[in-house]
Amino acid sequence: MSLPSTAMLVVILVTLPLAAATLLFASGRQPRTLTLAAALLLTFAALALGFNVHLEGVSVHRIGGWAAPLGIHWQVTPSGTVMLLVTALVGLAGAVYGAGYFLHRPGPEGRMARVFMPLWLFAWGGLNALFVAADLFNLYVALEVMTLASVALVALSARRMALQAAMRYLLAGLFGSMIYLLGVALLYGQYGVLDFDALAAMLDVEDAGSRAGAVALTVGLLAKAAIFPLHFWLPGAHGRAEPPVSALLSGLVVAAAFYLLLRLWFGPLAGMLTFGAGTLLGVLGAGALLWGGVLALLQRRLKMLVAYSTVSQFGFAMLVFPLAISGNREPVLAGGTLLLANHALAKAALFLAAGTLVRASGSERIGQLVGFSGRARWAWLAVILASAALIGLPPTLGFSAKWLLLQTAVSQGAWWWLGIMLAGTLLTFAYLGRLLELALLDPAPGPSPPPVLTPALLVPALLLALLACASGVWAFDFELDGETFVRLEPGS
Amino acid sequence: MRAPPSPTASDPGNGDGLMHPVEITFDALLLFSMVVLAWQGVHARNMFRAVVSFIMFGLLTAVAWVRLEAPDIALAEASLGAGLTGALLLATLGRLAPERRGARRPKVVKLSTLPWLTMGLAGTTVLLAVTLTLPAPGLGEAVLAAMPAAGVDSPVTAVLLNFRAWDTLLEIGVMLLAVIALWSLGQDVLASKPRLPAPALPALVRLLFPLFVLSTFYLLWRGGHGPGGAFPAGALLAAGLVLALLAGAQVPERMRGAPLRWALGAGLFAFLVVAVGLMWAVGTFFAYPPQHASILIAIIEIAAGLSIGVMLTALFLGGEPTDIKGGGK
Repeated sequence: MSLPSTAMLVVILVTLPLAAATLLFASGRQPRTLTLAAALLLTFAALALGFNVHLEGVSVHRIGGWAAPLGIHWQVTPSGTVMLLVTALVGLAGAVYGAGYFLHRPGPEGRMARVFMPLWLFAWGGLNALFVAADLFNLYVALEVMTLASVALVALSARRMALQAAMRYLLAGLFGSMIYLLGVALLYGQYGVLDFDALAAMLDVEDAGSRAGAVALTVGLLAKAAIFPLHFWLPGAHGRAEPPVSALLSGLVVAAAFYLLLRLWFGPLAGMLTFGAGTLLGVLGAGALLWGGVLALLQRRLKMLVAYSTVSQFGFAMLVFPLAISGNREPVLAGGTLLLANHALAKAALFLAAGTLVRASGSERIGQLVGFSGRARWAWLAVILASAALIGLPPTLGFSAKWLLLQTAVSQGAWWWLGIMLAGTLLTFAYLGRLLELALLDPAPGPSPPPVLTPALLVPALLLALLACASGVWAFDFELDGETFVRLEPGS
Repeated sequence: MRAPPSPTASDPGNGDGLMHPVEITFDALLLFSMVVLAWQGVHARNMFRAVVSFIMFGLLTAVAWVRLEAPDIALAEASLGAGLTGALLLATLGRLAPERRGARRPKVVKLSTLPWLTMGLAGTTVLLAVTLTLPAPGLGEAVLAAMPAAGVDSPVTAVLLNFRAWDTLLEIGVMLLAVIALWSLGQDVLASKPRLPAPALPALVRLLFPLFVLSTFYLLWRGGHGPGGAFPAGALLAAGLVLALLAGAQVPERMRGAPLRWALGAGLFAFLVVAVGLMWAVGTFFAYPPQHASILIAIIEIAAGLSIGVMLTALFLGGEPTDIKGGGK
């Protein structure tokens, strides 16, 4: 059996979404089979790429055949491949769910179904381009594609609150882009290169200008990743958007910005991860974790609870930075990447299931959700499984990720960070437990006759949640071999 | 649009020693006027004045780019920053209720300005200090060294469409995405004729429009060896089309729907077809064979230039033109 070459797979992953989106938009038709075929093909390409990377490891591809400082490189890394894979899984699940969700939309909202798929594919293409990029400016453009598509997707829900949230998201996103671009300009002005490897080789960690550049890059990405205190735009945008959109945004778009922070701080900027910088990032994370967790506990609307949970979970992810200050960084990067993958699968499942439950209940209020009955029970099952993964119960992917980070914290004697991690896990347990308790012990009757829940509204969420739970075993075993799942990128 | 670091933009003053006093005076005046206009744009309490200040600011920024020896960016800034954005703002102003149009905006509360002002000043000072110490090496020499194999004579076009063509492809994607995003919000807001008190405009536009089209193709052709190329050409085309719309022209009936959408997507599509085609033919994504580079780049430039023109016009339209009464142009 011969798989397509890694280069070919990368080209498929980055160009197919854009080509399909352009075709769909230009033709003005919505051939459901064509969009689903594109989504399936992308998923197969991501799986095949995962297989290739497992065999071959890190590979670098010159675009246009031009060498580094002049041209742009793609860098296929194990951590990036994990992100490409979860993007494909969430992308496929969302496309199927979206096809079912917008199908029964009455009246003028048919417009929503018409632009959903092109925008969805654009976002997918931007994400894929971002996960293989290794060039500061190329990343900026990929971030722009991703952000603009996300804003448009939020605005699809034409309700006033959603439009306001989209506007706020647009402004926050543009602010992040501008600050990031400033950082790119500062570093380019200093070294005249944009390529990650070239930058890593040249970077002078003591230089004030370079530090200013690193700060600007980081602040821009913190705004895009909605890290406390720059999280203000997230709950509205994610909580008010249509469910498949929320799943994409919470699961992948925020994670992409965060992944970029990981790439930078474990890659070219690794030398700058001093005690001060790492601690500061960790403190922001602790703030996000506690603030987001407490607010999630106070929410009365289902999707707002899930949205605040995202703020909290990314606070948890920020704790990788203080743990990477000294000692072996590889398990920390592995833990961070797995944490993102777990969150992407579980959170997307949670949002998709939440959308189904809201439709089944006719209300978004947690107190008025239907109980564990009828077809809604499959959505509840997805919620329960996704909650287990988010909390990090064994044997989920969340458990493997958190275990890696906890082990590092214990071996470093970082008791403070260990305490914060446990507090975060307890908070997650508390707000998800409260949701399950309220809804399952005191269910509302729901509207009669009950709305039809097609398999498209139930199966994607359930499969994503199952994947988040089942892939933990595999990721955990991988770690126990002593073989690191995620290697440090070359040149750092 | 945002061009990748241009090799011509680096080291403007070095090499020819001290600047002439006239140049210094000109630059100082330019800088002063820009600051005044920026202040007026933000603080003028009459909205119309604020918009006009903004347009003037865009024009002077273009002049500043010329002074920095970056004519490509100057062209883009003049047509987009001043022209098209200005037209958009004026159209928005025309759509506001008459009593709000010339309305005095509420005065900014003093208390909240102070922290922002301090932060802004501190940020500017730090940036200035950092920028002045930057060695700014740039990739100019690497670009010049690779020029023989680039297929075009203009270094800027070589960077945009060959060395960093992947960036440019994604940028065209961002523009198309902006159109889809805007159109997804609702119908064409300019469906009603703008009430512009300019009786001579239609005649003038009839006279000027062919010139705009001609200049567009001139800029496209020129992009191969000098300042020009798809972005400025598209912006110029858009300027002509927007002017025609302002003069009362409508999107022709037979252009609406699919033909218009294909025109919008053509640029990105041409880019993708060439890039993936080369992957299939040569084995490397976007690797132009040197003997075919010129023609392939020209194909992309023409498709992208026309698409950019239509995309910018579509942004001005504000929504997908629907089937309404009214004939062609």
